[in-house]
Amino acid sequence: MASRKEQKEQARAARLAAEQAAQARAARMRRMQLLGGVVVIAVAAIVVAIAISGGGSGGGAIKQNSPQSRALYSQINTLLTGIPESGTTLGNPKAPVTMTYFGDLECPICRDFTLNTLPQFIQNDVRTGKAKVVYRSMCTATCNDYSNGQSIFNNQQVAAYAAGRQNLFWYYAELFYHQQRAEGSGYVTSTFLNDLAGQIPALKQSTWQTDRKDPSLLSQVQGDEQAASTDNLQGTPTLILQGPKGQLTAPNSVVNPGGYSALASTLRQVS
Amino acid sequence: MATATSSSPEVPATRRRGLDRLTIAILAFTVLGLLDAAYLTYVHYHGFSALLCSGAHNGHSSCETVQSSQWSRLVGVPVALLGLIGYVALLASLRVRGDVGRAIGFGIALMGFGFSLYLTYREAYSIHAYCEWCLGSAGCLTILTVLTAIRFLRGDPPAPAA
Repeated sequence: MASRKEQKEQARAARLAAEQAAQARAARMRRMQLLGGVVVIAVAAIVVAIAISGGGSGGGAIKQNSPQSRALYSQINTLLTGIPESGTTLGNPKAPVTMTYFGDLECPICRDFTLNTLPQFIQNDVRTGKAKVVYRSMCTATCNDYSNGQSIFNNQQVAAYAAGRQNLFWYYAELFYHQQRAEGSGYVTSTFLNDLAGQIPALKQSTWQTDRKDPSLLSQVQGDEQAASTDNLQGTPTLILQGPKGQLTAPNSVVNPGGYSALASTLRQVS
Repeated sequence: MATATSSSPEVPATRRRGLDRLTIAILAFTVLGLLDAAYLTYVHYHGFSALLCSGAHNGHSSCETVQSSQWSRLVGVPVALLGLIGYVALLASLRVRGDVGRAIGFGIALMGFGFSLYLTYREAYSIHAYCEWCLGSAGCLTILTVLTAIRFLRGDPPAPAA
């Protein structure tokens, strides 16, 4: 039979074991609560990040007459106002240098060039009469995408060329690039193209709609594509500068931030 | 306390709390992901044409297409920079002791994993182009999520035998 002292020690050991087990249970519980809290916070952060990322599946052009639309138009108007426009040509027709810009309105790299580098070129070289820009179509982003049996590429390029009939091609193209979404995601619908046209106050909508059906504009787009193919151009944007001293293709670095210096250097070489 | 006749030398207390294999693995993948994100952040600000990329997409590298897409920024901040900040935070969490530090590490890895999963989905179904560097970072974050979860559930690393 255990002595009184041994009984006390056994009871103490049992109490300690019970306390340790309770502490372990409490620690486990705390850890699980911490884990649950971390998972909830992480999932919430992911959901918020996805919601505010550029990845909304729907949408399209910004609403006509909205403050955002007016601000964007004002920005583009400041860039282009006072510069002669004719068809897809921006600048003085007699400018000594012509920069031919082969582009696709859905191409994100064309967007980067148009939004980051082109404004400086327009301000420094087109507005001052040193150069003019001629836009030509080259399909790279959505060549095989069709909607109701019609080529999406042809539709969008013709829509811009139709604005060019009213000497507003560059307004339309600038608006397109500013509101461009993921290439090939199907956002370029008739509604999208109409919304862009609606954001140009000077554009006569009925004339623009009629011009879009003119087969000569489609022929112009196809002619541009043929020229790009004949010249074996590899991608968009391709910028060919032709001046008194010859012809040069601008380097790819012109699409990078600060790419204007490379473009200005090419301009100097052909001027 | 070990004596002079012990078969192994005494390990100082600070050393015993040092890096175990799991933490070393987390450290390695975090540094790998950090270098990846740092490179992507660098090319974001210095030009995508500097991107080394094996894929081609519409006359450009597929990485350039992905990095120029609308999903490459979150409220104007390049996601590569956000990734870089995430990896630095994960690295810093390794210095925080106890359950809180391990939970923070797991939380950061889980957030990075979830968002990189979404971005990979966008590459596949919206952009139709892949960026190897982004996939590399997504891979690192997947492994880090598993490793940090194990580290959290395991608790304090066992002290090495003296």
